[in-house]
Amino acid sequence: MKETQKFLVYRNSGEGIIRYEGYEVPLKPGYTILDALFYIQDHFDSTFAFRYSCRGAICGSCGITVDKIPDLACKTQISAVKTKRNPIGLPEFHFGEHPNWDKENEILIEPLPNMPVLKDLVVNMDNFWKFYVEVQPYFTRDYNDVAPESKQSPEEMNAIERLVYCIACGLCWACPVNATNPHYLGPMQLAKADRFLRDSRISDEHEKEILERVLKDDGVLACEKYFVCNRVCPRGVMPGTAINDIRKKMEERK
Amino acid sequence: MRIEKFDAVVVGAGLSGLRAGLELSREWNVGVISKVYPVRSHSGAAQGGINAALGNRPDGKEDTPKIHAYDTVYGSDYLADQDVVMYMTEEAPRIVVEFESMGTPFSRLESGLIAQRPFGGAGFPRTCYAGDRTGHALLHTLFEQCVRQGVKFYNEYFLVDLFKADGQIAGLIALDIKTGEFVSFRAPNVILATGGFGRVYKESTNALINTGDGNGAAYRVGVPMQDMEFVQIHPTTLYGSNILISEGARGEGGLLYNSKGERFMQKYAPKAMELAPRDIVARSIQTEILEGRGFEDAYVHLDLTHLGKNRIMERLPGIREISMYFAGVDPIEKPIPILPGQHYSMGGIGTKYNGDYGETELPGLFAIGECSCLSVHGANRLGGNSLLETSVFGRYIGRTLLKKGKSISASEDSIQKAEMAALYIIEELLDKWNSNTGKKPNEIKEKMGETMNRYLSVYRNQPDMEKALKIIEGLQLDFKDINIPTTERKLNWGLIRALELRNMMDIAEATVRGAIWRKESRGAHWRTDYPTRNDKEYQVHTMIYPGEKGMEIKTKPVKLGIFETKERKY
Repeated sequence: MKETQKFLVYRNSGEGIIRYEGYEVPLKPGYTILDALFYIQDHFDSTFAFRYSCRGAICGSCGITVDKIPDLACKTQISAVKTKRNPIGLPEFHFGEHPNWDKENEILIEPLPNMPVLKDLVVNMDNFWKFYVEVQPYFTRDYNDVAPESKQSPEEMNAIERLVYCIACGLCWACPVNATNPHYLGPMQLAKADRFLRDSRISDEHEKEILERVLKDDGVLACEKYFVCNRVCPRGVMPGTAINDIRKKMEERK
Repeated sequence: MRIEKFDAVVVGAGLSGLRAGLELSREWNVGVISKVYPVRSHSGAAQGGINAALGNRPDGKEDTPKIHAYDTVYGSDYLADQDVVMYMTEEAPRIVVEFESMGTPFSRLESGLIAQRPFGGAGFPRTCYAGDRTGHALLHTLFEQCVRQGVKFYNEYFLVDLFKADGQIAGLIALDIKTGEFVSFRAPNVILATGGFGRVYKESTNALINTGDGNGAAYRVGVPMQDMEFVQIHPTTLYGSNILISEGARGEGGLLYNSKGERFMQKYAPKAMELAPRDIVARSIQTEILEGRGFEDAYVHLDLTHLGKNRIMERLPGIREISMYFAGVDPIEKPIPILPGQHYSMGGIGTKYNGDYGETELPGLFAIGECSCLSVHGANRLGGNSLLETSVFGRYIGRTLLKKGKSISASEDSIQKAEMAALYIIEELLDKWNSNTGKKPNEIKEKMGETMNRYLSVYRNQPDMEKALKIIEGLQLDFKDINIPTTERKLNWGLIRALELRNMMDIAEATVRGAIWRKESRGAHWRTDYPTRNDKEYQVHTMIYPGEKGMEIKTKPVKLGIFETKERKY
């Protein structure tokens, strides 16, 4: 195993000045990209900014771009970056000029694409959450605590299982549509809509309401079936497939 | 300084904070502040499930809230407050049904009812689950309902200090992480729901954000820390990263083996085996490793291979992913390398004797969830009871405060004075950190974590803990001299992590002091020099107050009277 690893890191003060800074980080077995980011903050620059929380790929905080691939910093082992199988057919993401990137030996660290950068690797996710709220992805029935609970068969539950495990990390916003259309609701938001559309407990009326909210030019209709979202999603949610399923549902209702 | 005014402020947006915020926002003007976006909270990492005596399975038909309470009290090694436990277990079926009603995607039985699985220390299969990502399912459900109701969130705001006026809580100073400004949140009711503080230990299953910000702030305004010596070491954390491997893995039939291929739990808990409570399984594993029967002297095996691919994929998909991502092991083919690691804090912000559940001695200040000590877990928490605690008492505190009605604030003048005084202390502190020439916070944090790991884990004794105290006292001094740039306030997590360490230093010290004071073995607090439980002297809660000359230890009676105190055996 190598003793150290070189990184080339996107730095942005938030005032429009972008630079790429090189750092060399000592390696330990099992070290992840997130560990390296902390090492940089602890030993080189305490103001270096990135988001984090669980370090176990469940909270969705630490989405960044590693060697041009959107990924969670916590679940990416440093030793595997140059050899792991990467999703294919992703668009080219451009954040700034880095003519001196030594592709073989340096790991390139950049923020998530298609979101404005606040500072370093921290992006503004306001629109991400705004569109989440717009879809209104929640049960609208009056909740109560009187037993028994409403029933659902294991098969009905399985139908939404893939969709409920979305961690809202924002990796799917690497979609080329997000790059050009700032009003696009986004793959995560539409997958979240599908999570409720496919829930056997939903009422017909509620289903209709959700469909009305997502079946618009900047919603389901904006999806151009690149399926980048399916390929970068760290949880196997397959938002693109979900969007297709909504389309089918729309056809059925016609 | 920007000033925001509320009827109540909730700090923390995990399950406790969200449930309290949801309830309170129905009628009051409430702000929920969180240092991360709500769905990033650590509740989302909970895997196994939430306990409720629903009796959905044929083999669980006889289960009742009273039996659930008994198991909890027995598991707590008779340190839990029994009235609070009874309240929690009676509310349990209702709170789980409410979650379902809100849309939580629970796993289901063939009957269509919520699925339940067996968990350690429980008489019946009563742990309701959503695969092995129950916390995630519950957290997203509650967040959805909060969005639906329009709960007012202040995301990426860091609680720095609380302030009081006229003898009651008056609000808090928070750092708006995005702008770098200090903001005063004034409110006559503050509910702390800041979660666990496992990051005091170097090896912990906790999220990196679990640093006890509410605990530190409450202690600084004079609220005691309670039962801090009771730290749950989870028996099964992943070798290398200490990420949690759910008790559900053993609930589904996972077996523990040492390097000799022995199912060693036979020696330690012949009846309950792998499903003995966490403290017992953790000590058993530690003993095997210490006595040379571990792999690489560091871990043992948790074997799921006999469960087969389908069952693992269906019931434990998250565990499989974690093992593959973080240890390179597919549990369908190979056993998972595991070792014990810090997991949960039974202790926390001290509560008032005979007060409302979660009420502190400072009027208007409440604490719920893992940051608090109510105490429903006593000396050892049972799996599946923490998710339960968060939501039951989140709802409870909301309902209780609404019923009591809005509190009268302190006078405008004294609030303003208190607020400015609090801000002054913070500004002075940051100036000092900026000009100091001492150590970097990270060095102190590393040393603190290693010390707690080494001397305050599953086995404890007097000389070790005295060593630990000396080290921590030295680190407290070092901390006063830390050096870190503080002039750039915007999105400065280096600064935030130093503020977090400020909280963790006091938590670490209180943990050591409590553990030295308690000369007995009870639940998670296991002393090789005092190997038995001593009810005569120590069936009391430890209360650590900030005194003139440092930490002062007092006690608080345990609420008994429902269940007779017995010896605890499995």
